[in-house]
Amino acid sequence: MATALTLESVTKAFPGIVAVNAVSLQLNAGEIHALVGENGAGKSTLAAIAAGELRPDEGTVSASGPVGLVHQHFELVGRLRVWQNVLLGREPRRGWRIDVATARTRVAELARSNGLDVDPDAFVDTLPIGIQQRVELLRELDRNPSVLLLDEPTAALAPAEIAAFFATIVKLAQRGTAIMIVTHKLQEVIDYASRVTVMRHGRIVERIDAKASSVEAIARAMVGGELPAVAERAAIERRPLLQIRALCAGEYERTVDGLDLDVQSGEIVGIAGVEGNGQTTLADAISGALDYRGTIEPALAKGIIPQDRHKEALVMNWSLVDNAILGRQHGAARRGVTIDRKRAASDAAWIVENFDVRATSLQAPIRTLSGGNQQKLVVGRALIDKPPFVLAYNPTRGIDVGAAALVQSRLMEARNRGAAVLLISFELDEILALADRIFVMYRGAIVGTFDRAAADRSEIGRLMAGAR
Amino acid sequence: MKRFTRAIGGPLGAILLLVVLMSLAMIVAGTSPIDGFTALFGGALGGVNQIGETLVATSALLFPALGIALAFRGGLFNIGAEGQLLMGALFAGAAGAQLNVPGPIGIVALLLLGALGGGFWGAIAGWMKARFGANEIIATLMLNFVAAYVALDLVSGPWRGPLATGAETAWLDPRYWLPTILPHTRLSLGIVVALAIAVALHWVFTRSVFGYDLRAAGEAPEAARRSGINIERLTWISLTLSGAIAGVGGASIVAGELHRFNTQLSPGYGFTAIAVALVGDLQPLWICVAAFGFGILESGGLAMQASAQVPKDAIHVIEGLIILVLAARRYVSTRTEAATS
Repeated sequence: MATALTLESVTKAFPGIVAVNAVSLQLNAGEIHALVGENGAGKSTLAAIAAGELRPDEGTVSASGPVGLVHQHFELVGRLRVWQNVLLGREPRRGWRIDVATARTRVAELARSNGLDVDPDAFVDTLPIGIQQRVELLRELDRNPSVLLLDEPTAALAPAEIAAFFATIVKLAQRGTAIMIVTHKLQEVIDYASRVTVMRHGRIVERIDAKASSVEAIARAMVGGELPAVAERAAIERRPLLQIRALCAGEYERTVDGLDLDVQSGEIVGIAGVEGNGQTTLADAISGALDYRGTIEPALAKGIIPQDRHKEALVMNWSLVDNAILGRQHGAARRGVTIDRKRAASDAAWIVENFDVRATSLQAPIRTLSGGNQQKLVVGRALIDKPPFVLAYNPTRGIDVGAAALVQSRLMEARNRGAAVLLISFELDEILALADRIFVMYRGAIVGTFDRAAADRSEIGRLMAGAR
Repeated sequence: MKRFTRAIGGPLGAILLLVVLMSLAMIVAGTSPIDGFTALFGGALGGVNQIGETLVATSALLFPALGIALAFRGGLFNIGAEGQLLMGALFAGAAGAQLNVPGPIGIVALLLLGALGGGFWGAIAGWMKARFGANEIIATLMLNFVAAYVALDLVSGPWRGPLATGAETAWLDPRYWLPTILPHTRLSLGIVVALAIAVALHWVFTRSVFGYDLRAAGEAPEAARRSGINIERLTWISLTLSGAIAGVGGASIVAGELHRFNTQLSPGYGFTAIAVALVGDLQPLWICVAAFGFGILESGGLAMQASAQVPKDAIHVIEGLIILVLAARRYVSTRTEAATS
């Protein structure tokens, strides 16, 4: 097989960290290669180097043709049309003007030949995530790349969309494109990839033949040891606690429409759904960050773990101590008109101790911590006052396996002590692992309910994609 | 190159760079830097009278700088301190001319009137931002002009002192003059009030729930909102307080040095104070130091003009350079940080 891309002992350092350390890697034409590793292992940096977006400090990159990179967070111009995005910077011209007719035909033809159904004239910001990804893919395909790198391509896709996406990818590979997928979804790796490269702390630690391996074996290689266990589910009596009735809300348009939901004490309710089906609106309405119609009753003390810890949960320049009382400064951590500094310090110390937050000091700015440690502080803060109700929105997104296991354990323990836990997650596996009851959310409403014992993955997947 | 930028990043490097730039400005103005600096520091610190004038300028800059710091820490770019100071001075001057109460009560009342006037002017911008989402930079900036013309109109007509020669109110009864604290100078008790406000503000920032909320809103508005802070309410409260502190400064000039309201009473203190607040890193105690440094420039600049023939405008060039150096420092440090993450 012809080599399409060669990385020769590539090293890239950022101040304080060697992100990629002497990595050598070859991609063959026509293969689907998976690059896996925990967060911060250096995968995305390596992909950026391979695509020529970052210059390595040492080592060489050589490719047999253009290298395309599809980012995890799409880089599209929402207010432009599909064809304008696909051809951005490469528009066919007639004199000094853009040749619109040729451009539209070219994009339509490109979409058809690759089996990527998309309307060239649609405005990108009106399209669902799955279609936006096709636009991103088309933009790279227009350059006729011999290597295509995909960073977490299925993170925001529904199961059905994932299947369609891989059908396209497999077809591309058959035509001779070398494909590398950066992902943390190991089942997809087993299903579609031929070879797996595992990275840890900037180095390649293992090269695995996907066909002869298993999800568990790859996960162990990523962590470098056994997987941490999650707390046991205890038998506990459930009692009705929170009732949501006829909830309608949305920031710009109504993205939650007539939603009913009950959460009982002593259970974890999992909301399964594809990103963009109103989960954020639901979480914001429950958190009190968004106005709504309908009822959420009774008013309860709530422990909130928001989705975006950087923006919604932490003041990145502040110390652990100051962050430990954010959201509690008008309650537990207030003393008259002053902040209870002693309480803040002891609470921060308690969270660090009980949630295994690794930091150089309690006074260190929270931005100096790794994502996993930041998230552990957020979760600890949400649980420290033992609230009767806990809302966790993608609580393990983007954090390493060890931190994720700890977060999941603490949520389970909160349930075991009688809290009502509402878990909204885009990871179906996480919901299946934790939830006592599973609700499927589609277009702003609940479309299916499953008890833990009766949960059926494929049925849930069908409902998530909008099947009736 | 890396070393060079890092050196600028340090405060010592910034001061060094400033001295070099100031020397260049003096050379351009046709004076040797040695003569220039001698005149500058001699004029600012060369005697009791000079020190007194320097501290008068320090005090005049300190009030608005503290007000600005309060707003900036909350993420609100209040560049209307000039107008707020003027309104505070106008309230104090106009009402002070009519006052008839015992002296100490009158003095306290004058300062409170200053807070009222400045606070009112800040509140207008706060209300526009909280209610209509108006940009506070535009609102506070434009209100400076409104304040200037409102003041001019009022003291040219209805509030003009009966014996006044220009656009000014009647003189205050000497009972209501802020006592002088340095004999044979114009330095009044106002600077003590300013220092007290600085200490109070330091406490507010570091200890109080309000300060915590304010800093949270400034650093991370979305996280602040979700932590239960009412951002709209905080917006108008902080712009009101910010204006009130600048307004006390206006009243302090009226009651401490001028003893009447005059439309010319501020040569742009409210604008220079933005630089003072930034040089002081928005920290009240450092702002006191920065205000003293700018006070030296303000009062020494006049002496420099008189004895070394460096135009007073050179001081404004220097103040502009300080802002540039500061901006460069921020740029350098954010760039190093961006590269780290």
